[in-house]
This record gives sequence, C-alpha cells and structure tokens, in this order.
Amino acid sequence: MSGLFDKTTAALQTSINMRQMRHNLTASNIANAETPGYHAKKLDFEEALARAIDLDGTRSLSANHPDHFATGGSNPSVRPEIYDNPEGAINNDGNSVDLEKEMSALSENAILYKTAIQLINKKMAALKYAASETK
Amino acid sequence: MSDFLKGMRISSSGMAAQRMRMNTISSNIANINTTQTPEGGPYRRKDVVFEAMPEAKTFGDIIMATDPRNDMQRVQVTDVISDRKAPLMKYEPDHPDANPDGYVAYPNINLMEEMTNMIQASRAYEANVSTMQAQKDLSLSALEIGR
Repeated sequence: MSGLFDKTTAALQTSINMRQMRHNLTASNIANAETPGYHAKKLDFEEALARAIDLDGTRSLSANHPDHFATGGSNPSVRPEIYDNPEGAINNDGNSVDLEKEMSALSENAILYKTAIQLINKKMAALKYAASETK
Repeated sequence: MSDFLKGMRISSSGMAAQRMRMNTISSNIANINTTQTPEGGPYRRKDVVFEAMPEAKTFGDIIMATDPRNDMQRVQVTDVISDRKAPLMKYEPDHPDANPDGYVAYPNINLMEEMTNMIQASRAYEANVSTMQAQKDLSLSALEIGR
C-alpha cells in the first residue's frame, strides 16, 4: 500500500514494538540480578528489521512473477531473536547479569525509543500541515 | 500489544522480592541476641530463595507461539529458609536459658554479612525502581504521538 502512511511509519512502529520488548527483557534481567542460575538475555532485531523494510533494495528477492512471494514489504513483520548473552562472567551462583551493563542498555534503549516517537511525531506533523486548509 | 504493563509487572516483582529480602535481613538483625523462639532454642538466621518464573503470557504471546525459552522472567521468593549453622555458645551461668553446664545458645548471625546483604538488596531495589520509572517515561511519551 502506498497511501498516507508509508514504509517509514510502519518501520518506526515495528521499531517501537521491538524496543518495548527489549525494555521488558532488560527489566527481566534486572529483576533477576540476584537469582541463582539465571542467565542474562539479549534481544536482536535491527538486522531483521532492516531485512524486512529493505530500504536499499539489496536484501530481498524481487517478486516480479504473480506466484512469487514478496519477501520485503510495506508492513514489516519482524521476529526478534532472543538468546542468552554470551558475554559477561558467570557468578558463583550461576548468575550472569551485569547490572551496570543492563542499566546502560536500559537508558540507551529508552533514548532510541523516544527518538522513534519523535520521528513519528514529525511525520504526523508534516501530514497534518499538508492536510490543513490554506488561507 | 499491551506489552508495557508486562515491563511494569516484572519490575514490581523485582521490588517485591528485594523488599522481602530486606524484611528477613531486618528480622535477622533485630533478633541477633534472641535466645527464645516459639519453636524452642535460639533464633535461626533466615534467608530468602529467589526463583525466575515466566511472566504470565498474553493472548498475543500464545497466538504468536513464541519459543518458551524467550519468555520474560519475573522473580519470586519461593521459600524462606532457616540457617542450619550451630548456635554460638556463651558461658553465662546466671542466664535463665543457660544449659546445665552454664552455656547459653545465641543465634549464629554475622552482623557484617547482614549489612552487606542489606546494601546489596537496597541497590537491587533501586535498579528495579529505575526500570519502572523508565517504563513510565516511555509509555507517557508514546501517548504524545500525534499531539
């Protein structure tokens, strides 16, 4: 669909969803910072999102036959990858959460989340301006 | 996806667990010289057991059938255990709880250990408060979309 809301809005929306998920994961790591045997988890979605929106057109197969499936698209459906963080020392009690790392990941993620929101707001403002009556 | 409430629930589980831990530490310090308990004998040091538990799934999670390894985990205090260390015996023949040899059994509590645990618990609590605040901040900024 090439309507009012384009690829960028869809990508920003997915990005915000993924950042929320990453926030939850970091919260989970911090809540379990003292749980014996808990391994810190990490979430990657940037590469999957880049593949899904395919801005530079190099990542997807072109679908020029009606029976082909498009691999990129206007509505990126991204599966994040969650895995045990291989970095970081494992404690005596089997816990591998590094609280400092988690806190900095948390604020980094929060800033990028807010950035995405700002970008959406700018887009909306531009649309609003275009749609407003001129005098 | 009402995921933002999940983040808050996870942070609050962390706070609840650390507060519970703080309560047992307070109890240990308050009872450092207690020689009588309802179970008999001196007070025994208490400690909490933390366990990571998968946060309750939303309808969306079940539809997406995500890998169970990927569940966000909250933390829960599953047990409060009593220390098995032998009590400290002090020679106080005039004490009402003294045994026939004149020794009184006191709780085997190391004050330094309790204090370090207390600092650890309060730092962990603060970290959870920060995540909760960050979540609140993010959700409020999301409400500003389109304003």
